[in-house]
Amino acid sequence: MSAPVDSEGRRSRSSAVPVLQLDSGPESFRVWVGGLWRNRNLLYALAQQDFRSRYKRAAFGVLWSIALPLFQSAVMVFIFSRVGRFGSGLGYSYAAFVLAGMVPWLYLSTSIASSTTSIVDASGLTDKVFFPRAVLPLVAPAANLVMLAISTLILLVALPIVGEPLTARFLLIVPAVVLLCTFTAAVGLALSALYVYFRDVKFMVQAVLLVWLYVTPVVYPPSALKSAGPWLDFNPLTGIVGLFQRAAVDAPVPSTRSLVVSVVATALLAVVAVVAHRRHDRLFVDLL
Amino acid sequence: MTTPAVELHGVGKRYWKIHERSLLRSLVPFGPPNRTELWALRDANLLVEPGETLGIIGRNGAGKSTMLRLLAGVTRPTTGKVVTRGRIAPLLSVGVGFHQEMTGRENIYVNGMLLGFSKARITRIFDDIVDFAQLGDFIDTPVKFYSSGMYMRLGFSVAIHSEPDVLLVDEVLAVGDVGFRLRSFDRMRAMQRSGAALVFVSHWLQAVQVLCPRTVCMHQGRIAFDGPTEGAIARHHELLSTDDGRVADDRATAVRVLRRELMDADGLPVGTVRQDDVLTYRVDLRFEEAVQSPQVLFQVIAEDSTLTYQMQTALGDQWRTFSAGEESSIVVRFQPRFGGGGTFRAAVVVTNIDSSITLLHDEQGPAFFVEPRRGVVGVCDLQARIAVDNEDRTDQRSLRFGDEAAAVEGV
Repeated sequence: MSAPVDSEGRRSRSSAVPVLQLDSGPESFRVWVGGLWRNRNLLYALAQQDFRSRYKRAAFGVLWSIALPLFQSAVMVFIFSRVGRFGSGLGYSYAAFVLAGMVPWLYLSTSIASSTTSIVDASGLTDKVFFPRAVLPLVAPAANLVMLAISTLILLVALPIVGEPLTARFLLIVPAVVLLCTFTAAVGLALSALYVYFRDVKFMVQAVLLVWLYVTPVVYPPSALKSAGPWLDFNPLTGIVGLFQRAAVDAPVPSTRSLVVSVVATALLAVVAVVAHRRHDRLFVDLL
Repeated sequence: MTTPAVELHGVGKRYWKIHERSLLRSLVPFGPPNRTELWALRDANLLVEPGETLGIIGRNGAGKSTMLRLLAGVTRPTTGKVVTRGRIAPLLSVGVGFHQEMTGRENIYVNGMLLGFSKARITRIFDDIVDFAQLGDFIDTPVKFYSSGMYMRLGFSVAIHSEPDVLLVDEVLAVGDVGFRLRSFDRMRAMQRSGAALVFVSHWLQAVQVLCPRTVCMHQGRIAFDGPTEGAIARHHELLSTDDGRVADDRATAVRVLRRELMDADGLPVGTVRQDDVLTYRVDLRFEEAVQSPQVLFQVIAEDSTLTYQMQTALGDQWRTFSAGEESSIVVRFQPRFGGGGTFRAAVVVTNIDSSITLLHDEQGPAFFVEPRRGVVGVCDLQARIAVDNEDRTDQRSLRFGDEAAAVEGV
């Protein structure tokens, strides 16, 4: 904070004054992480602002964050149980299965879409004041935690209604949420850095998100794909979504391979994202 | 010997102007180069001591904002080293970081955290911030309903209460009412006395002159002058006028300018002038078409493009016809009584007899710097004299910022 002021109103300058030295190279890993940690309050404040302002002018406010996942799940259930015939012969509620899959999917897709453009969108701010840019792509995943919590709660309430008993299995939701959030944050961080340099990324993300939902076993169980099923394991989302579904209904446990892929992909993306952000932190602004 | 608050050692900043920013284009290793380099700042060396106020002036694109960005730490130099000691607070431009839908209160917290305060600290100085910004009941209103003045006051108030060791001020002060401006100056001076360094980047030369004893003049990415403010302003002015050699954009081709000249009473070219000087602006013309009784307007344009003065020849005066190819001259004699001083530019407009057709609009006249009259702020000099206790107290104050009595206090 500020230096103490003595009786003459003169600031006593001690060696505690923070010194910032900038040259052409990036700062050390420790300094970067330290800066990010010091700005955790900023992340919290920005996330709070993001969440509050999103629904501020809507008459139903936060209700929309509940209504949207429910509505989308209902549409999915209706279409795919009629058209895809995935719903029959499962031994558990297809509606609960879809809802359990939609919870992580909606969190991921809404977060990533805003994370990707976050640094560029804040160019008015980043041009004037420095704070680790990594804060910006983390705002959406942080703000959407509220939505994730609410939709998980809905899932919890909906399960007994559709006739699925709540068991200790539901505790799987904890590791599932942790993995989902880490994965989402890592993807958002990496894409936000990439988007500063390549503006095509935004549209690629939109395209990938369109396809991703259908190559992830959200509306169908992996077994429905017969021989193509195991290939789904290479989609890092398969393991994460599988955990949510397993927590909700008596679906098969996600394969070890799919879980390993999820964890390894998350770790790799996180490393790439951290390296990119540390190296380019003070250079993003040059390209905005 | 104190440790400088800011040090720049051989600092250069290169930007790449990228012609086509696409993934495809950047992956293709051949073809014409996709980028050209642009040095926004080159070989800058600068030391700013704690408690010092430094002005930075220069034309657009001279490197001022790049310098500010480097000091704020938002970007890193391509060459050299930038060292800043203590907390740096950039004075955010109007409403930067403000969320339209959120109230003033909510925005103060977010803005404060952007500047690096803890929540507890913001809560502690919250009332001071609101008082200084004079927002009153508006504090719980979404900022989108704020006037631009309220917006600016709020942003400025947050920055100034952060008790920074280095305060970076960009243009922003040009907004806002006079009262707030004066309180801001006061506050900045108090910060300065307590040992904070202040870097003031502005086009507004008057303010620079009042606030900064020392000024850096930037030109084409380099520090062209670093020293007393009068020197920097003179250099700035000199650079402005040397760049004026460009050929006029002549949309109207009926009349062409052959030569322009701004002279003092002795017929010598001038750049910096005093208010009592009698100046002569001479423009030599050539009529490309025959023109019957042209009207002539003389204008003086301030740096921010406002028309500060205009005078025209008697309307509808029928005097003579100039034939095509004929050369003539316009000579204007005037006294630059622009009270608070500043940089101005002479312009000449020639129209047809009823002013319905503009034959020449020449704004490329030489720029000149008018020294401010002591104690005067404003566009014109009303030659006011102030008597207190029946004793004339005019011209008692100095313009130098940091002197016993600064002019701003008395405005």
